Amino acid sequence: MGISILPPSDSDDDLGSGSPGSPSPSPHDSSSDTSMPDAASTSSSRRPGAGKRPKLSSSQRRRNRILVPGETITDEAQWMRGHGTFSAAAPSSSHASASAGATITATLPGPLHTTNKLLSITPLRSRYHPSIGDLVLGRIVSVDRARWRVDIAAPLLAQLPLSSINLPGGVLRRRTTADELQMRTYFQEGDLLVAEVQGVGNSDGVATLHTRSLRYGKLRNGVFVRVMGEGRGVGVVRGRRQVFTVATVAGSGSGSGSGEVDVALGVNGYCWVSRHVDPEADALEKEKAGKAKMAGAGSRVGMSISNLDELVSNEIYSSQNDEIDYRTRKEIARLCTCITLLADAALKIDEDTVIKAYSAAVEAEMEMMVDEDDEDAVAAAAAAGVDRKSELKKRIVQAVVGGG
Amino acid sequence: MPLDTASTYGQTLLRTDGRRWNELRRISASISTQPSTDGSSQFVMGNTVVVCNIVGPREGRGQRDTNNALIETEVTVAPFAQTDRRRRTKGDKRVQELQTTISSAFQAHLFTHLYPRSSITISLHVLSLDGALLASCLNAASLALVDAGVPMPSILAAVTSGVITSTDGITPSDPILDLNNSEELELPFLSVGTVSGLSEHQEDKVSVLIMESRIQIGQNGKKLEAMLAVGVDGCKQVRTIMGEVVRTHGTRILRGRK
Repeated sequence: MGISILPPSDSDDDLGSGSPGSPSPSPHDSSSDTSMPDAASTSSSRRPGAGKRPKLSSSQRRRNRILVPGETITDEAQWMRGHGTFSAAAPSSSHASASAGATITATLPGPLHTTNKLLSITPLRSRYHPSIGDLVLGRIVSVDRARWRVDIAAPLLAQLPLSSINLPGGVLRRRTTADELQMRTYFQEGDLLVAEVQGVGNSDGVATLHTRSLRYGKLRNGVFVRVMGEGRGVGVVRGRRQVFTVATVAGSGSGSGSGEVDVALGVNGYCWVSRHVDPEADALEKEKAGKAKMAGAGSRVGMSISNLDELVSNEIYSSQNDEIDYRTRKEIARLCTCITLLADAALKIDEDTVIKAYSAAVEAEMEMMVDEDDEDAVAAAAAAGVDRKSELKKRIVQAVVGGG
Repeated sequence: MPLDTASTYGQTLLRTDGRRWNELRRISASISTQPSTDGSSQFVMGNTVVVCNIVGPREGRGQRDTNNALIETEVTVAPFAQTDRRRRTKGDKRVQELQTTISSAFQAHLFTHLYPRSSITISLHVLSLDGALLASCLNAASLALVDAGVPMPSILAAVTSGVITSTDGITPSDPILDLNNSEELELPFLSVGTVSGLSEHQEDKVSVLIMESRIQIGQNGKKLEAMLAVGVDGCKQVRTIMGEVVRTHGTRILRGRK
């Protein structure tokens, strides 16, 4: 029995036709717009196997149609429900006679994806869900017993066990209680790191990270950027090259640095833009520094493979930033802005788009440059209403979309 | 001329703001208003404006429930929200009750089992208040949770409904939909929130129902039943509007992606 809307009691009063018993239909109160759109069409069009491929009724197949939570996707029995959908166990109700199978409804807002017979909805926006092999950036939240807890923008904090990091002194070293006591010398609260998801918990989906590669580890000499991660089609794209080096214009001049900037894009939407580190040159430098230090300390121990390793590894966990020249800093900032603007424009973020956006930004600066000393030019630009950021965004979108 | 509903409605069948008994105020809403949060919305219902931000699901602090996410709600009513400037203290009992009501409504409604050990914080800011405080907060929170991508079986929508009791015994007692502040002060009213049934064949389910006024049940007018029926139907209208807001937003996002 349904709760039907009760009109005000239609009593025989002297108000005549103006009585509330016959209210004129208002725009908000037509019975047609209270039912969910397309509800009628989905239930009525149950065509028996048109062709071999399963097909949804036409209204739901319309490309890029956004489903909202609670909207019926289908009530045909042949479909399987995937992520973002929900089907209640068909209750024995007198109304349910029309539907043989359970109705599949949406639980997330977004377009419908069909993979053979699997229906799933990819949300427009959601938190990062870790999966094995993802390259992520994280920030240490707390130091626990024999593990760190890392914020990777997922519903739960990730774990980084002490046994999953490279310790100074070689790979084959045993993790002792002494190591547990000095965990803060490796990672402290607030440190940023790049890591890979090694495993995801079965019951709760907690990610376990590892940094057992020279590519992973603590981050320094750079800037942190946070964008939306892992949205299908937007944000940081999974599976492309996520750590790459951009040759910037800073290197073309007579600057001291090479002008190259490293970019690390985490699948979780955390990104890191930093001064380029050349591993070989770095190691050589360290060797020299190490020799000098040892000579200064008057140590008798010579350089060997084992303690070279130790020197390098100790450097991995350093929190000391190096001096970065002004031109490189400027290019780092420019790349950060590019990444943020790409995210703003709801575009993909990967190596290709970042480099395209960067070169567009460099070109734009050349063209849009206003001589700050020339007061007339500054005033003219202000009068013309040139919003540099939106202009830049327009150009970046043009470069990225037009080129690919 | 007295400006109260009880004395004028019988003659004109219009409320003081010119609406009929079953008309909602103008509703407008938008989602993803705050890019830095996980989900956000702004909900405007007549002169009531509520802004909602969602943080989470994230690691719950000190949460003991290892199977479900915990929903926490913070409601702030701005001192300038109503005609008289009034600063509400943090421990305001009415605000606390509001928070508990909203939390428990969504705790039961959302698929919290998908996010074990985590917590979802709903923070609501009432910028302008002209009646329907609870209903607007629920609607704003509902939209923001949709934006945050928290799975839910359907959109929770809420309205208020009241009843005009005839004073002279001749004119009928009418249920009215979506009261504004002056009507709320004058008439008995209830706040009702519903979720749609599990399939299109099922009826909507009432998930929130709060009434603070005294009213007769089952008397000749069947006032309470009429109020409830009008409220449930109003929720349906609000849900349609909210669904359209989400759909419009999503279509715009998808168009931008290409």
